[in-house]
Amino acid sequence: MAYPMQLGLQDATSPIMEELLHFHDHTLMIVFLISSLVLYIISLMLTTKLTHTSTMDAQEVETVWTILPAIILIMIALPSLRILYMMDEINNPSLTVKTMGHQWYWSYEYTDYEDLSFDSYMIPTSELKPGELRLLEVDNRVVLPMEMTIRMLISSEDVLHSWAVPSLGLKTDAIPGRLNQTTLMSTRPGLFYGQCSEICGSNHSFMPIVLELVPLKYFEKWSASML
Amino acid sequence: MSFRAAWSLTLRKGGLGIRGIHTPGSTAHGKEKMPPYTNYHAQRSYPMPDEPFCMELNAEQRALKEKEKGSWTQLSHAEKVALYRLQFHETFAEMNRRSNEWKTVMGCVFFFCGFTGLLIWWQRVYVFPKKPITLTDEWKAQQLQRTLDMKGNPVQGLASRWDYERKEWKK
Repeated sequence: MAYPMQLGLQDATSPIMEELLHFHDHTLMIVFLISSLVLYIISLMLTTKLTHTSTMDAQEVETVWTILPAIILIMIALPSLRILYMMDEINNPSLTVKTMGHQWYWSYEYTDYEDLSFDSYMIPTSELKPGELRLLEVDNRVVLPMEMTIRMLISSEDVLHSWAVPSLGLKTDAIPGRLNQTTLMSTRPGLFYGQCSEICGSNHSFMPIVLELVPLKYFEKWSASML
Repeated sequence: MSFRAAWSLTLRKGGLGIRGIHTPGSTAHGKEKMPPYTNYHAQRSYPMPDEPFCMELNAEQRALKEKEKGSWTQLSHAEKVALYRLQFHETFAEMNRRSNEWKTVMGCVFFFCGFTGLLIWWQRVYVFPKKPITLTDEWKAQQLQRTLDMKGNPVQGLASRWDYERKEWKK
């Protein structure tokens, strides 16, 4: 989850998120370079003693500042498209989990083998145990096996919601009447937090998502205990 | 710069009726026409306006303009200055002079910042609700312990800065 004085993105838990982190570094560097160049030019313009302001002809600089941005945009677009296609690669998920957005909680269904479904409500601040995270903890976490490709099918029972887990690089809209799919693969065990990311009414900020990634045998034990 | 231009515009409009106050001698302050703004106040970026500053010349000034048509080495220093003043409103040194405007601006900025500070203080006392229990130092310490226990952000983030063997922050 986010930690105090965090400046960048959360640490990556999936390979796609690692790619996105590097892409973010690359693009942000370009943005910083352009911004500092512009800031420098503005400061030059404000402190010059030159007075000639009616320039007539500037063919060379016009060519440069047309070609150079085009090159910069290509340098941003190519890695971006690469990651976009990487997200849609064929992988063979070992498990399918369905999640339905409601006002104002998520419900999860593991129906590959048995029928397991439960609701996941936020724990109100007054009922938190000491040390728990306010507005982020839920009563029933989504337990999943780590290091396995999992297909998530996301939809909604009422209004638009969005199922987001930043450390896995996931954000998929939950649209009533539509089934959206995303794949999840975690390289680490642990708890990973997310929050509803599409405005859905008064408690939109109070329907978080908590994934509990555990080794496979713990997952099997848990799912047996939940039935 | 534009502040001075606007100010001189408002001043000049008042003085429209008082045309061409000529003092005998070298400097002339007459300003007959109401030309475009460029001649109203000297601009560093428009150093050579098409029309001279002083349009209506008295006999003495006309004679000087005739003398200007000859060799300039014949002109005395005072005559050159007089010709400059006929042609231009201000010298570069005069038009580029600093002003005390920044003191007014900074004063107003600080005043409004202070006023806003007072408003916010009043808000904190009378409007804001109680802080949630999770913002107490004790809870924050327990939260931090929980985050470290679950190894949240162990690559480059929080847990990566904690030394789990020595149970202290990494140096």
